Amino acid sequence: MGCEHLEGIQAKHVARCPARGRRDVRAPFCRRGDGLRTWVRRGPCGPGAHPSRRLKAAVHYTVGCLCEEVASDREIRFSKQTIAAISELTFRQCENFAKDLEMFARHAKRSTINTEDVKLLARRSNSLLKYITEKSEELAQFNSEQRAKKKKKLEEENQKPVEPAEAAAAKKDNSSL
Amino acid sequence: MEGTSGGFRKELVGKLLQLHFKDDKTKVSGDALRLMAELLKIFVVAAIRSVRQAQAEDLALVDVDQLEKVLPQLLLDF
Repeated sequence: MGCEHLEGIQAKHVARCPARGRRDVRAPFCRRGDGLRTWVRRGPCGPGAHPSRRLKAAVHYTVGCLCEEVASDREIRFSKQTIAAISELTFRQCENFAKDLEMFARHAKRSTINTEDVKLLARRSNSLLKYITEKSEELAQFNSEQRAKKKKKLEEENQKPVEPAEAAAAKKDNSSL
Repeated sequence: MEGTSGGFRKELVGKLLQLHFKDDKTKVSGDALRLMAELLKIFVVAAIRSVRQAQAEDLALVDVDQLEKVLPQLLLDF
């Protein structure tokens, strides 16, 4: 029904067809960075232009921060192309990582990726594997400490109303002795 | 937990991975996300350090040529 330009697209928003200006058809659209609306085709065509562009920018920013951190130690600078190349490299490597992680989890008949999968990912270099294993143990310890703290806090809160009664009982015992 | 300021945020890492999952049901646990953030940070730092070491001369500026030299080994390690 409706405009042929929007055929096959699942409609979610009311929008104007670019060719005919009809308002009766609902179709997905999104705002580009410059404020103009553009049609986006939904489907199995992979990530849309927008999510990956924003993510790439975020990666670029983080890589830039890390470069600055390293560069400040030795008073050297990294060219913009180098930073861009490293961030592009990182972005693409994430694809390999993601696919591998998904395969590992599926192999273990899980749908949630956990730390064991990440450790398997780091298997290629011994020092890397050692570092990641240490980090994961630190994390596990940190988590158990947090849980212990929470448990203790809950116990303390539960015991508060009982304390005066206990103190009174203790006093009674002392006086009888 | 760490002393270093630079690093990847958990949400960013999560979204980066989600982009390439084939199955919609695949999720990542919080701890795995933190570990992945560490892994990515090491990846970037390794790239930066090996590029710096590939500088034979004492250049003030590190350019893409150095990165090209170290890329094969870097990718083999990961």
